Amino acid sequence: MIEPVQLPDAAALGPALVLGLTALVVFVFDSARPHEPDRGLLAGTTAAGSLLALGVGVWYMIAGVGVPEPDGAGVISLFDGQLVVDQLALFFMLVTAIVTALVAIASYDYMDGHAHQGEYYSLVLLAATGMATMAAANSLVTVFLALELASLPSYALVAILKDNRGSVEAGLKYFLLGALSSAIFVYGISLVYGATGVLQLDLVAEAITGETGQHVLTGNAHDVAGHDGLLGVGIVLLLVGIAFKTASVPLHFWAPEAYEGAPAPIAAFLSSASKAAGFVIAIRVFTTAFPVEATAGLVGFDWSVAFAVLAVATMTIGNFAAAVQENVKRMLAYSSVGHAGYALIGLAGVGAGANELVLGAALMHLFVYAFMNTGAFLFVALAEYWGVGRTFADYNGLGRRAPIACVALTVFMFSLAGIPPLGGFLSKYLLFWGSLQAGMLFVAGALVVNSALSLYYYSRLVKAVWFEEPVTDHGSLAQPVGLYAALIAAAVMTVVVLPGFGPIADSALDAATAVLTS
Amino acid sequence: MMAIEGYVLLSAGLFCIGLFGILTRRNALMFLMAVELMVNAAVINLVAFALYHGTLTGQVFGLFVLGLAAAEVAIGLGIILVLYRNFGTIDVSVPTTMRW
Repeated sequence: MIEPVQLPDAAALGPALVLGLTALVVFVFDSARPHEPDRGLLAGTTAAGSLLALGVGVWYMIAGVGVPEPDGAGVISLFDGQLVVDQLALFFMLVTAIVTALVAIASYDYMDGHAHQGEYYSLVLLAATGMATMAAANSLVTVFLALELASLPSYALVAILKDNRGSVEAGLKYFLLGALSSAIFVYGISLVYGATGVLQLDLVAEAITGETGQHVLTGNAHDVAGHDGLLGVGIVLLLVGIAFKTASVPLHFWAPEAYEGAPAPIAAFLSSASKAAGFVIAIRVFTTAFPVEATAGLVGFDWSVAFAVLAVATMTIGNFAAAVQENVKRMLAYSSVGHAGYALIGLAGVGAGANELVLGAALMHLFVYAFMNTGAFLFVALAEYWGVGRTFADYNGLGRRAPIACVALTVFMFSLAGIPPLGGFLSKYLLFWGSLQAGMLFVAGALVVNSALSLYYYSRLVKAVWFEEPVTDHGSLAQPVGLYAALIAAAVMTVVVLPGFGPIADSALDAATAVLTS
Repeated sequence: MMAIEGYVLLSAGLFCIGLFGILTRRNALMFLMAVELMVNAAVINLVAFALYHGTLTGQVFGLFVLGLAAAEVAIGLGIILVLYRNFGTIDVSVPTTMRW
């Protein structure tokens, strides 16, 4: 094998660095001509930067960065273990970069005529940088910092249509709940720090499992078991913060509001990339820092059971609420809550057997979901661009007026529902199979029932665009280049994921195994 | 030196006051201040535990948290400003263009 190029260790953060630098470049371009922004240049730079980040990530994956020695180049640990680049980190950096690229391309048309183009694209990139850093965070400090780096630009992005009351209201609600949940999250961190005396995730695990009666680093007398109350409350508060970020029950109610009011590409960005980043933090923090059995022995409850309850509650509430919506964007928002429930199964399975399979299936689901959900929201962006209206009835007959876009929509809907030949089916099937093997019969049953229910409202939209008569207008609709390109790219990827499923499944399973055994 | 329990009680008290403020106030600025109380409760905890454990990690993280809280307030004030321009009020229960 060819000797790989020796890069400095910090280069392992390549995808995140590229995203951050592109944000600065966009700032420079914007400040050069602040009053007449060249939207092609700004959107193009953003898309090019995200694709470059994607390329760097894929290159690292192929070169074996993050794969433990001797098979690969080794897990790279930076800044004294505060950040770690392993397969899980690279996997989610890829998801973030893909979604950012799709959103940037679609925004070229959607944000046409908006006054703050430069700010828009740089905020998207900064949020993406935060999400990519979340993927690599290995200490409660970096987890919190990266979480805030992703959240703060998101608040501003949701409210960026400053004269649109819906957008401002959505921004306000998202911000208020976000600020509250990050306050709760950081309070949880402070309690865990009090109980264990450390913030780095692997050291927290060491403090919890070791019964040395000493502080892990200083060797001072300190007994974690004597502070089990602090630790227990801390873990619950961390769970609350994560439930907010992933839009899981009981902190899901901001999601429909924020996604409905936000510009549609931003709704796509938040419901795909931001949710995936929330999950990587959940996976990293809970599997690395709080080993199931040792933690249960100390604090008296098993967090994987809590995740199982949350998973079933989230998917049930999300799907039932989605089934009764009349507004398409709101239906998609609730469906994204439902999908958060499916992904939570991965963490629920950690306590039971066969856990790499369940966790790997959850990672795969998040990967496939990034394409199909982004695509679905981008179709809504297209409908808003056309100005056809927001309800199911307004979408009637769009199939005849814009057939290509509606074929793409059909692919997304059937994939979200989990119809066999599409990517969404495979990841759901693996989740089902994995949870059966882990003995979580109830969770597996809930997954099947919810998938069946979701077919109802997804196919309702497909029926509206293909089989209903258009209400007023029969003319064909405009075909904006950027939105169409992003839609078709997302649709092609949703289909191509099927033959390409082997490598993706392998890397997801490897990532899951690595994070569980580390 | 005060016992660690004193600091933890103080911070738990602040956290609960903040939470109470969030549940009862409808003015967006009051909401923001209540959130600040909760964040500062966490910072007190971090600093107190850093002293207790004899490591500096908590104190340094406390500084980061203060910086982030300031950034968060800046974004929040911006959003509250556009809220006022659009709705003519900063009462968080008024904007209801969307329904559950």
